Amino acid sequence: MMLIASVLPRSLLAWLVAACLALLSLCAQAEVAVPPLTGRVVDLTGTLAPQQTAALTEKLAKLEADKGSQLVVLLVPTTQPEDIAQYAIRVAEAWKLGRKGVDDGLILIVAKNDRKTRIEVGRGLEGAVTDVQTSRILREEVSPHFRQGDFYGGIVSAVDHLSLLVRGEALPPSQRQGRKHYRQDTINGWIAGVLAAVVGGSFLVSMLGRWLGGAATGGLAVLATHLLFSLAWPFAIGLGAAAFLAALILGGASGLGGWGGGGFGGFGGGGFGGSWSSGNDSSNDDDDFSGGGGGDFGGGGASGDW
Amino acid sequence: MRKLALTLALTATLLLSGCGYNQLQTQDEAIKASWSEVVNQYQRRADLVPNLVNVVKGYAKQEKDVLLGVTEARAKVGSIQVTPEVLKDPQAFAKFQQAQAQMTSALSRLLVVSEKYPELKSDSVFRDLSAQLEGTENRITVARNRYIKTVQEYNVTVRSFPTNLTAKMFDMQTKPNFTVENEKAISAAPKVDFGADAAKGASGAQ
Repeated sequence: MMLIASVLPRSLLAWLVAACLALLSLCAQAEVAVPPLTGRVVDLTGTLAPQQTAALTEKLAKLEADKGSQLVVLLVPTTQPEDIAQYAIRVAEAWKLGRKGVDDGLILIVAKNDRKTRIEVGRGLEGAVTDVQTSRILREEVSPHFRQGDFYGGIVSAVDHLSLLVRGEALPPSQRQGRKHYRQDTINGWIAGVLAAVVGGSFLVSMLGRWLGGAATGGLAVLATHLLFSLAWPFAIGLGAAAFLAALILGGASGLGGWGGGGFGGFGGGGFGGSWSSGNDSSNDDDDFSGGGGGDFGGGGASGDW
Repeated sequence: MRKLALTLALTATLLLSGCGYNQLQTQDEAIKASWSEVVNQYQRRADLVPNLVNVVKGYAKQEKDVLLGVTEARAKVGSIQVTPEVLKDPQAFAKFQQAQAQMTSALSRLLVVSEKYPELKSDSVFRDLSAQLEGTENRITVARNRYIKTVQEYNVTVRSFPTNLTAKMFDMQTKPNFTVENEKAISAAPKVDFGADAAKGASGAQ
């Protein structure tokens, strides 16, 4: 190998290596990537016309506004080498459709070249949209339409049936309109965070002295909020400065430090993490569609083909 | 200066061992949760079996050994008491896995046999049960994959330095994971024999 490398001119060797790598990457059958969630209808096959996509999007947006449940239609050319069920669960875990805690997400996937369909149902809807019902929808509504080449018709009938089932279910009311308002848990998160800064700060101040303790609290707050809770730098620095000031001013209460610091720190961290992860998708527009923040998919639903 | 160094050293050691312990506890609880989900889904599958057997019996009662196989597999699965203690005992875990594998193969044999009876296949109750079975098998797969992931995280923590010291201190060991059952059988391609089945099918459909 080294002999060959020494004999060949550099440029040829580089070209050969590149060619080998390219060939290898072609041979390796990579999994189909999870497409980005660009909207309520993600059509990577170009099957649907723009007005059809728009009409579907409107229906799905209405469903979310009325019931809070997120239903997304995905068309891909193929899911090979994976089974459509394997691909569907990967997509579901990446997109996190459905509200956190309620888990009311639904995905209708069509693998056009494989001629396979699947409806993936979130945990919260498994009672309303059972395996039997999704199997029937795929078999009796979607497949006949698809066999005739009427993809839009099949998808619309599936969406209508699923919406009917979802509307029959008693879900927590949709909060899509009121996203911008601070919910109770966000407020809790803030209170806990402030308490943590105060108590933690006084602990550090009692150990390291006023200025050093204050600086340490501020620094830790900036790092924690930026790294752990993915807060943007301006926010993180703002919080850090607030923590620094708080530690300076209230640093005298050294008694609180010991037992309070650990407990409140943990609670504050948890409150922050939860509220920031759920409160961050703030959108009143239906143009800006994003996942609900962590719907859990357990693998329920059914597959079909045509 | 000395006081500061001492405080820092103390904090560092506390944090190191403290962190490890909490992490282990969290991951241990995650394992328990994902394990109960796996057991849940396996139970759901077992609950489908009696109805399935009844429907198939209605159309294909001559397939006695296959039906018997499924019923026996269900009895075996039902007899194994699954508690969180199973996770601490690799032998009990292996027994559980074996019983479930037996159920899987018995069910697949049943489904293969029912392919020969077109009336059975078009029966709506059978169709619904098949849909439910398929959904449950998928849920089992998802639950197993999640369990495997949580066990992997926990085992890595238990084996890495310095958390392995904490693990040894509190006698926490690596947890058993799902293995591929019957590796040899899977790597051998299944034999498809249409001759005998076609003859049987013609007589069975009457």
